[in-house]
Amino acid sequence: MTESVIIVGAGQTAAVAARTLRRRGLGGRITVVGEEAVRPYQRPPLSKDYLSGREGEDGLWLLTEDWCDRNEVGLRLGAHVRKVHRGSRSVELADGTLLEADALLVATGTRPRRLPGVEGERVRYLRTLADANRLGADLRPGAHVLVIGAGFIGAEVASTARELGASVTVLERADHPLGHVLGRRMGEVCAALQREHGVDLRTGETVEKYMETADAAVVTTTAGRAIEADVVVIAVGVVPNVEPLIGSGVELNNGVVVDEHCRTGVAGVFAAGDVARHYHPLFERHLRVEHFDNANGQGMAAAKNILGERIAYTAPHWFWSDQFGRNLQHVGHGHGCDEIVVRGQADSFDFTAFYLHNGVLRAAFAVDRGGDIAVARQMISARAMPDPAGLRDENVDLADLSAATH
Amino acid sequence: MGSWVEVASLEELARRKRKLVVVGTQQIGLFLIGGTVYAVSDVCVHKQRSLTKGTVLNGQIICPGHQWAFDPQTGRAADREECQPTYDVRIEQGAVFVNPSPRALTSEER
Ligand SMILES: Cc1cc2nc3c(=O)[nH]c(=O)nc-3n(C[C@H](O)[C@H](O)[C@H](O)COP(=O)(O)OP(=O)(O)OC[C@H]3O[C@@H](n4cnc5c(N)ncnc54)[C@H](O)[C@@H]3O)c2cc1C
Ligand code: FES
Repeated sequence: MTESVIIVGAGQTAAVAARTLRRRGLGGRITVVGEEAVRPYQRPPLSKDYLSGREGEDGLWLLTEDWCDRNEVGLRLGAHVRKVHRGSRSVELADGTLLEADALLVATGTRPRRLPGVEGERVRYLRTLADANRLGADLRPGAHVLVIGAGFIGAEVASTARELGASVTVLERADHPLGHVLGRRMGEVCAALQREHGVDLRTGETVEKYMETADAAVVTTTAGRAIEADVVVIAVGVVPNVEPLIGSGVELNNGVVVDEHCRTGVAGVFAAGDVARHYHPLFERHLRVEHFDNANGQGMAAAKNILGERIAYTAPHWFWSDQFGRNLQHVGHGHGCDEIVVRGQADSFDFTAFYLHNGVLRAAFAVDRGGDIAVARQMISARAMPDPAGLRDENVDLADLSAATH
Repeated sequence: MGSWVEVASLEELARRKRKLVVVGTQQIGLFLIGGTVYAVSDVCVHKQRSLTKGTVLNGQIICPGHQWAFDPQTGRAADREECQPTYDVRIEQGAVFVNPSPRALTSEER
């Protein structure tokens, strides 16, 4: 029987897992170890309303002191886990302390990928609350912000910077943004959204050389252009924090490899959230995604499996992004799809795109149509084969179409 | 406050299944779900998106903003503490009336 649990990492996944473990009756010790000095918090606002100053810190916190006290959850903050010991459920902290438990949940998340050669006083990354506080101070009217990478984080930073009156240049190495998630056509729509809001988006172009003068960062691009900026934000993806598991016997491959139950190959060791490369039964492959909802869902599933239930995590991945006054949402996994059906007007940023593979709905991407995403999510779970003409036709009620394909 | 206001016809709701109405300063979403009319504040407690722009699935109202799922009777969000204000509804001769004072939850609903 599992009595005690250590959770390595103190982010979204850890918070949800700790709550689920207690709510579901775990009687023994729960220890959450996190290297950041502050209590666990939500990250999505860090590029949006928190970064813009429209929202304060109050709404960010996840595990309050009061809750931890009442539920006897031990939070060890400012504590870095150096090593998970081989074949055991004990972890070693940076200061040498050893902690042991019946089960371990690895929820260490990810960190921003660094760009070699781009270092200096004016370089910013965005992952933590401290990062957001620092960057927020740079986003002033009239400032020139250069963002490297036009993914979701890059686009949201660009959006917030524009909102605060800064001028923004974005460099994207690929010839359209977000192609790996959305495909070319929808990637172009995202590019258009940025440009429509005054972002100088340059695709097929990245940093060749970086230097700083007394009053500016100077980036020379691969197209030979020199761009001066007050601050340079690097948003070129993330790297999973797997280092403590090296040599532990747990399989690592672009993340911590787990089965559909969030179990690693080592008994009693689980992983969930951004760091986990999870076997997804619906898509029949291992996938590692970096979404809030996935952190919640896997955190919950991992906790239940720690308690001895056999619950597979099967929900289609879902995420949103709020940028340039629009709400973007994506559900499922569109890789390898052979048909995209658009409902609504892509040009006016009011549409849903459905991604089909051999007629089976696998993914959907919507701008300002979250209602469609809810229905699509259900159809994707059911491996539904909706009639493309019905998907396209705005007079057909999607919920009815979904019911008809079940 | 507290006096019933006629806001829609049942026939119209049967066709469109949901409708946004404005009563005084309040934006109220009407939803026809499984033959019953529910009235819920249209402004999502999370980030103020409009619930009538969302959808209804498995008897729950899904917010288009971030997919929170609300019970139309209690306004409670699934797996969360937050709660959307709800209003009493009365149907008379094919007309839908709403009481614009938000309901207090009964002890079972809480
Ligand atoms: C700016 C920003 C905006 C985002 N916006 C959205 C959005 O709009 N929609 C969406 O779906 N998702 C969004 N996300 C993604 C979402 O926040 C993540 O998917 C989620 O935080 C993952 O939770 P996690 O607990 O797995 O990892 P994290 O939240 O990263 O938590 C992991 C924690 O573990 C700690 N840790 C790591 N290694 C160790 C160690 N060895 N010892 C001790 N502690 C350690 C880290 O310091 C960190 O605090 C956003 C992320 C960021 C950064
Ligand atoms: S605005 Fe309703 S869920 Fe976020």
